[in-house]
Amino acid sequence: MALNPMDIYKLLPKTNCKKCGEATCMSFAFKLLNREKKLEDCKPLYEDKKYERQRKKLEEMLKPLEEATETGLIVDESLCTGCGNCVVVCPVHVEKDPKGAAVGNGPTIDDPILRVEDGVVKVINMQACRRYGKNRVLCVVCRENCPSDAIRFLEG
Amino acid sequence: MIMICPGCSCLCDDVYIKEGKVFNACRRGKEIFAKYNENRAVARVDGREVDVDTAIEKAVEILKEAKNPAIYGLDTTVVEAQKIAIDVAEKLNGYIDDNSSFCLGELVEAVLKGEMPTTTLDEVRDNAYVLVYWGTNPYHSLSRHLSKYTYYPRGKKRPRGYDEDRFLVVVDVRRSETAVLAKKNARFIRVDDDAELVDSFVKVVEGKAAKYAKDAGVIINEMKRADFNVIFGGLGLKYGLKDLNQFKEMVKKLNEVAPVYFIPAGFHGNMRGFNETLFERVGHVNKYSFRDGKSDEEFAFTELLKNEKIDAALIVGTDPVYSLPFEVSSKLGKINTIVVDPRMSFTARIADVVIPSAISGVEAGGTMVRSDGVRVKLEPLEEKEVNDVYILNKIKEGL
Ligand code: SF4
Ligand code: SF4
Ligand code: SF4
Ligand code: SF4
Repeated sequence: MALNPMDIYKLLPKTNCKKCGEATCMSFAFKLLNREKKLEDCKPLYEDKKYERQRKKLEEMLKPLEEATETGLIVDESLCTGCGNCVVVCPVHVEKDPKGAAVGNGPTIDDPILRVEDGVVKVINMQACRRYGKNRVLCVVCRENCPSDAIRFLEG
Repeated sequence: MIMICPGCSCLCDDVYIKEGKVFNACRRGKEIFAKYNENRAVARVDGREVDVDTAIEKAVEILKEAKNPAIYGLDTTVVEAQKIAIDVAEKLNGYIDDNSSFCLGELVEAVLKGEMPTTTLDEVRDNAYVLVYWGTNPYHSLSRHLSKYTYYPRGKKRPRGYDEDRFLVVVDVRRSETAVLAKKNARFIRVDDDAELVDSFVKVVEGKAAKYAKDAGVIINEMKRADFNVIFGGLGLKYGLKDLNQFKEMVKKLNEVAPVYFIPAGFHGNMRGFNETLFERVGHVNKYSFRDGKSDEEFAFTELLKNEKIDAALIVGTDPVYSLPFEVSSKLGKINTIVVDPRMSFTARIADVVIPSAISGVEAGGTMVRSDGVRVKLEPLEEKEVNDVYILNKIKEGL
């Protein structure tokens, strides 16, 4: 399930009151998705009782955002079998860990992005992911090679 | 400390435990390390708790009195213990068998007899181009097979790994999790009848028409591009084919046009070890009768039980009550059953004698044999005195 700004927008007050510091509710929706804004920034949503139902829905909808790392990568641990495919294919690992992950072993560097701990993959250094920061690229290599759909990205 | 995971025949050699966490092992492997203290077996005779020596004495007594005893299991223990178990079977003039009689024993036997060229997983990682997974879904049984040894790692002659330097083929009756990974530089072939695909490979090499000519043609062309290709055969292959000879012929035929190796994709940690150990001794890999001096379908443990041919069973490190059909396993209730196991398995619960043992790889060292025949020395966390080797030795001495 990927989140999209339209679905978020539909539940906002749609008054373009600018209290959140954005010109429009639509642009607020985009910023929410990028985690540049928090739902609480939309004051009317919390102050006006008539929005309560919408607010609850939005909170529910945005939950995965909190679980996600800043790169938008989410691992569903209940689906992960610890096969290690994602650890071995990640291009950043291949480059930085030629004797470990690149040749199929568990990472031998101190700060891999992903590592299998207690049988499931954990994100431990998202800053190194190619999706992180200003010059990010939309890398999907780990997700593409996960046999159990345990990895997804917020942007779909 | 780097350990060897005994969880399956991949015997991964990069697992370690730090601050109470298990690193690099897949979910199955982690369970072995994390839960090793749960559900432990206790020494029992006829349901009464006793000390280990009493349980061993009772086991010896049962085996001595038995007219037709069988030894069964042994796929999760070490080669050193398997050897002693074979001694015991010989001394008893009895039967010995493991899970491979309904798993990949036949394929391992073909490899040991040199009927198909084989290689190691390390060679595969460094050199292999076409990788065929036939009738096996490593996602379930050998979780790290693709990432650690075959498709994904970068190797000496395959520096770009799966990106460009490998070609993945998955043959299965359904679109398995492994088949889903066959995307770029890959092929998934859904088969109803494995024999038709085997036949197609042979026909294409001979330049004849065949049902799967298109798929087989593409794969053979890819194989010709490389000097190293490999087929991993699993249970689906064994059960999909009535006649394995046809498959062996196909491998031979393929080798006329390109080098193609075969490695069995069996599952249990040391099943291949049992096959090799018995093979060295008697020239057969499983279902062997010392009395008859031969191996035969009727000496498979399940057949012996079903046909009520045995009156006592020594079961080591396996749980037939859990894994065999009820009509078969229920017959254990009619005979004298001795269980040697680290855990209070379902079989242990119904056994006449339970002898608690150590978990190979965690509490006991020794040697296991990987699915490709490479021997691996285990690196246990501790060494318990009462392990499979100790127990089986005591039984052997007592006879
Ligand atoms: S504060 Fe809420 S209602 Fe006002 S513009 Fe921002 S998102 Fe829209
Ligand atoms: S998105 Fe790309 S860079 Fe980031 S963890 Fe996955 S494979 Fe590595
Ligand atoms: S590829 Fe998927 S199943 Fe395998 S370790 Fe990564 S997240 Fe888990
Ligand atoms: S693939 Fe097998 S040997 Fe490797 S960690 Fe998993 S269970 Fe252990």
